[in-house]
Amino acid sequence: MDIRFEKVSYVYQPNTPFEQRALVDIDLAIEEGSYTALVGHTGSGKSTLLQHLNALLKPTDGQVTIGDRVITPTTDNKNLKPVRKKVGIVFQFPEAQLFEETVAKDIAFGPQNFGVKEEEALKLAAEMLNLVGLDESFLERSPFELSGGQMRRVAIAGVLAMQPEVLVLDEPTAGLDPAGRKEMMEIFWRLHKDRNMTIVLVTHLMDDVANFANYVYVLEKGQVVNSGTPQAVFQNVEWLKEKQLGVPAASAFAEKMQEKGARFDQLPLTETELADWIIREAGGTVHDE
Amino acid sequence: MMNKLIFGRYIPGDSLIHRLDPRAKLVASFYFIGIIFLANNWQSYLFLGLFTLFAIMLSKVDLSFFIRGVRPLIWLISFTVILQMLFTRGGTLYWSWGIFSLSEYGIQNGLFIFCRFILIIFMSTLLTLTTPPLSMSDAIESLLGPFRVVHVPVHEIALMLSIALRFVPTLMDETEKIMNAQRARGVDFGEGNLIQKVKAVVPLLIPLFVSSFNRAEDLATAMEARGYRGGEGRSKYRLLKWSGRDTAVIIAFAAVTVVLVFLRS
Repeated sequence: MDIRFEKVSYVYQPNTPFEQRALVDIDLAIEEGSYTALVGHTGSGKSTLLQHLNALLKPTDGQVTIGDRVITPTTDNKNLKPVRKKVGIVFQFPEAQLFEETVAKDIAFGPQNFGVKEEEALKLAAEMLNLVGLDESFLERSPFELSGGQMRRVAIAGVLAMQPEVLVLDEPTAGLDPAGRKEMMEIFWRLHKDRNMTIVLVTHLMDDVANFANYVYVLEKGQVVNSGTPQAVFQNVEWLKEKQLGVPAASAFAEKMQEKGARFDQLPLTETELADWIIREAGGTVHDE
Repeated sequence: MMNKLIFGRYIPGDSLIHRLDPRAKLVASFYFIGIIFLANNWQSYLFLGLFTLFAIMLSKVDLSFFIRGVRPLIWLISFTVILQMLFTRGGTLYWSWGIFSLSEYGIQNGLFIFCRFILIIFMSTLLTLTTPPLSMSDAIESLLGPFRVVHVPVHEIALMLSIALRFVPTLMDETEKIMNAQRARGVDFGEGNLIQKVKAVVPLLIPLFVSSFNRAEDLATAMEARGYRGGEGRSKYRLLKWSGRDTAVIIAFAAVTVVLVFLRS
């Protein structure tokens, strides 16, 4: 399922002194099966944009096409449920959305809202819990006695249980420890690879973008200021520094090497690429796994 | 949804009214609400109306804000006014049907009540639009000060008030975020019959309560870590200063009272 933005603008509290333009003439496309990253400063409009992806917000101008549904400023608020089922959003700090007595019930809550029978939903809950790396013993526990990281997993399982076609992640690893972060990102990668899930990732971590995404949109002040493959976007290190966005660690390191005289055809984005380059330079051969 | 609420909001500005001591504004607003009930004929209401308009003009806040502030209450106002009109008898009778009637006094009473509502809302909106919430709680602390003698925990009340005020926007944001998260999970807020509507609130309320508890715990820890040991022996960072223009405001209100007593019949 594709998601397309055509000339989308969004204004908060229009016609009041608190009026605030959050999005300006956004054109963007999220192809089916892609792994798209959205990066930009705090306040660049990422979170506003993200709420357009499943019609939580409707554009004040332009239109958003989600699969076969077209959302325009005049779209009625009714009958948006099918859209929300297809596009699952994991908001920032999703552990704040837990409320049921048991983990199982909380995960089953989403599917049940979309008409899945209780029994089936609970079965889904068990399955999803495994998927996010927790075992069955958690099913009957209260979500409020879990650790922060475990709560996060339960919340994400709750979104996955709706079996969305598009998974939107708003800084899913914020506040997690390095191991948890890595594990989370790998879970999403597996969903993308094995189940061909379309993923939209909002993040400040350029390494995640370099490692996983196949397309990047750079937002600034509510506008798309750059887009392309991570390879293309991260080549222009100067520009990114100017925008205070940073580059992946491997690229930054390669840039330093460049200053000392190393010559790259293209700046490497990941450690693997950088290591490959070093081995080749040293005259060795790179063995692909 | 909540964005439309104007009532109770502060608009930064630098007018005479903005610069007044919050205590003067608070006392004056409450006093004004008291003296509105002195007015009992059209001359006195006209006078109060003009006075309110003058105060609004001094604040340099757009009049449209005040009108928008009335909007959420319009049903309550209409309901009261209509009841008053239909059930008051006296003077010339224009129309009547069973217990309902439309009389001269009824219409007059209805209009007066309407004016009262509008004036009270305008004045209190003026207070909140021009006073930052924190100054308001400072003012309340200062005004409640004398009650310390009778063991009213003034400092605690003021502290709770300023913390509550500080967290209103935070809680609003939180509410909006959780609402969105639950909507993304297929909850329809405000749809279906009454029972369904109430049920839909549960996934919103429980997380809000839980996060409030967590927030309270964190805040208490942070306060203790910064050496908070209660109100005794604390100095104040924000000092309220009573100046000549504050006294002038109080005098103006006293003058208004005199005129009002003179105008009322």
